[in-house]
Amino acid sequence: MEQKWELLSSTNEDREKIWTKNRTFAGDVWFRFRRKPTAIAGFVIIVLLVCFAVFGPFFTKYSYSDQNLEVVNIPPVMKVYEAPDGEGYLYITQSLKVVYVNPDGTLGEQLTRVRSEDDQMMTIFDCNGTEVALYYGQKPYVIADQETKIIYPSTTMWNRSYILGTDALGRDILTRLMYGTRISLLVAFIAAGVNMVIGILYGGISGYTGGNTDTIMMRIVDIISTIPLTLYVILIMVLMGNGLHSIIIALGSVYWVDMARVVRGQMLSLKGQEFVLAARTIGSSTKTILLEHLIPNAMGSILVTVTMLIPSAIFMEAFLGYVGIGLQPPLASLGTMCNDATANLRTCPYQLFIPALMICMIMFAFNFVGDGLRDALDPKLKK
Amino acid sequence: MEFVLEEIMSESIVLEVRNLTKHFKVGSSGKQVVHAVDNVSFRLAKGKTLGLVGESGCGKSSCARTIIRIYEPTSGRIILDGQDITELNQKALQPVRKKMQMIFQDPYASLNARMTVRDIIAEPLVAHHIVKKKDQANDWVYPMLERVGLTKEHANRYAHEFSGGQRQRVGIARALILQPDLVICDEPISALDVSIQAQVVNLLKDFQEEKGISYLFIAHDLSMVRYVSDDVGVMYLGQLVEICEADEIYKNPLHPYTKGLLGSIPIANPKLAREKEKSSIEGDIPSPINPPRGCRFHTRCPYARPVCSQEAPEMKEAGPGHMVACHLY
Repeated sequence: MEQKWELLSSTNEDREKIWTKNRTFAGDVWFRFRRKPTAIAGFVIIVLLVCFAVFGPFFTKYSYSDQNLEVVNIPPVMKVYEAPDGEGYLYITQSLKVVYVNPDGTLGEQLTRVRSEDDQMMTIFDCNGTEVALYYGQKPYVIADQETKIIYPSTTMWNRSYILGTDALGRDILTRLMYGTRISLLVAFIAAGVNMVIGILYGGISGYTGGNTDTIMMRIVDIISTIPLTLYVILIMVLMGNGLHSIIIALGSVYWVDMARVVRGQMLSLKGQEFVLAARTIGSSTKTILLEHLIPNAMGSILVTVTMLIPSAIFMEAFLGYVGIGLQPPLASLGTMCNDATANLRTCPYQLFIPALMICMIMFAFNFVGDGLRDALDPKLKK
Repeated sequence: MEFVLEEIMSESIVLEVRNLTKHFKVGSSGKQVVHAVDNVSFRLAKGKTLGLVGESGCGKSSCARTIIRIYEPTSGRIILDGQDITELNQKALQPVRKKMQMIFQDPYASLNARMTVRDIIAEPLVAHHIVKKKDQANDWVYPMLERVGLTKEHANRYAHEFSGGQRQRVGIARALILQPDLVICDEPISALDVSIQAQVVNLLKDFQEEKGISYLFIAHDLSMVRYVSDDVGVMYLGQLVEICEADEIYKNPLHPYTKGLLGSIPIANPKLAREKEKSSIEGDIPSPINPPRGCRFHTRCPYARPVCSQEAPEMKEAGPGHMVACHLY
């Protein structure tokens, strides 16, 4: 019979050998993180969004501030009428102009107005030599043959010039969305970074020193957190004026409160653990203990708090933009785009829908990643 | 001549603790105190092991941590190698820390999970400026790893990848790499399997024979202490109640609490176990915030007399080298 089991030599090397692969802490976290589909989805979305915001503007021919008043408020999906030349299409803008649409869906020239026949509620335009009539007597407005009054057949088609349409000033929404996402992410990452540094320092000192210092520092945090943070941010913004730098300063100087609490809590629980006591009995310096023992071990909770802080910073920035104390036009941020869109919300809902969807996606993605990280960093869930 | 010198050396005292007391304040008012360690005195000679036993919460670990100055002593004296270290501040203690190291109870909590084994073992070398950076410490770390039965392949591993026994050996390597005079072992084996316990204890004994290290060995069961210790001290509620040579305390325990402790050691042979007198201690350990007046053990002592609840017994010599604090002797 075949020998299924054989005796291993019992040398020291075999006995003490660790058979698992050498896996670092980060590798271990990644291993657990990637088994959670929502977390991975969130992570992929964030990567895509960052690429979209960083590299997107290189691939668009428009700039965020380019205005083209001929193509104002054109949606991504247009209702068009066949042009009399049999090839192109005609699109009626909200200001009752007619734009020629090429057969491939790109926008052409605005048609020149020949005359208006107010008694028949018609405006006559010149389409490559043929006269077409825009009838505005009742909704929906239609384009008809000037003489026979036969309405041209209509169809819907995608806007290939402005994939996500244009806004009230004829600016490309896709381009503005890229810049807006870029600014939102920039604000969020910088604010999160600043908060992290302040929070770690403040909470670290408070928690590690302990005693009366801790009590006083934490009472200050309590006082700060009783006043709504939104109020602070608005006050700071009013004081410092509009602009990217003041948003970053305002968000960065306020949101560290939660971070400080988390870090302090971690410090309090870690500094009593045996490996920290061991470092003290060894005679390691306070710097070593903080930088090599306490902070790396608190990093898990810090990371989770940061990923949870980023969406709230993004939302705050959008909110500030929306109430009008954010960025100065023509700079785009998701909030200012929403704000611009409310003016003609009834006629062009897509202008609000697109940036709002982007805000939702960013917030979902970061929340999912934060959730996944928390589970991945929790050593109790280790399998 | 050489013999005489060795005699003197072996008699030289590494650690002397005099009337060591550590009280912890409780609550915000700070009026109540936990009497964690009260008036503990002992001496530890070079190359010897003093076992410190007692049930959970009796102040063994507090005593150890006060001696190594993680806790500030309330009063008393700690004399290491003839140098009084009680009053030294943490900065002045830094060079002294090289002479005393500690092995901790929980091998899972005492190693930093974010560090490789090399970094863990090299940390004392860096702290005492023997090497500048941890990656230069291989010449020290590799032999030490082999010495504790690990290989240099283990150096790049993280602590969480090891078994409990392996981790504890890493802890031992960290404590011994500076070749200290005194190592305080705070229940180093109580978190390990019995088979691993022997391995770790033998390793400690080997080091002692080689380097002449003194151990303050803290444990809560007497069976392993007998094997490692030269002297044994028994603690109850922050106080030392009996201290003498290891064999003596097993053959001739005097204090009722020591007898109770010895009675709690399980005996493998059921026949012998049945014959053994039932001398287990009843009741719970009283609160160290409000320790009983007089002898602290009188609330649980089967031999308690009226005087026990009135007067605290002094430590006195009941036999040659056998000190006990009990009114019975």
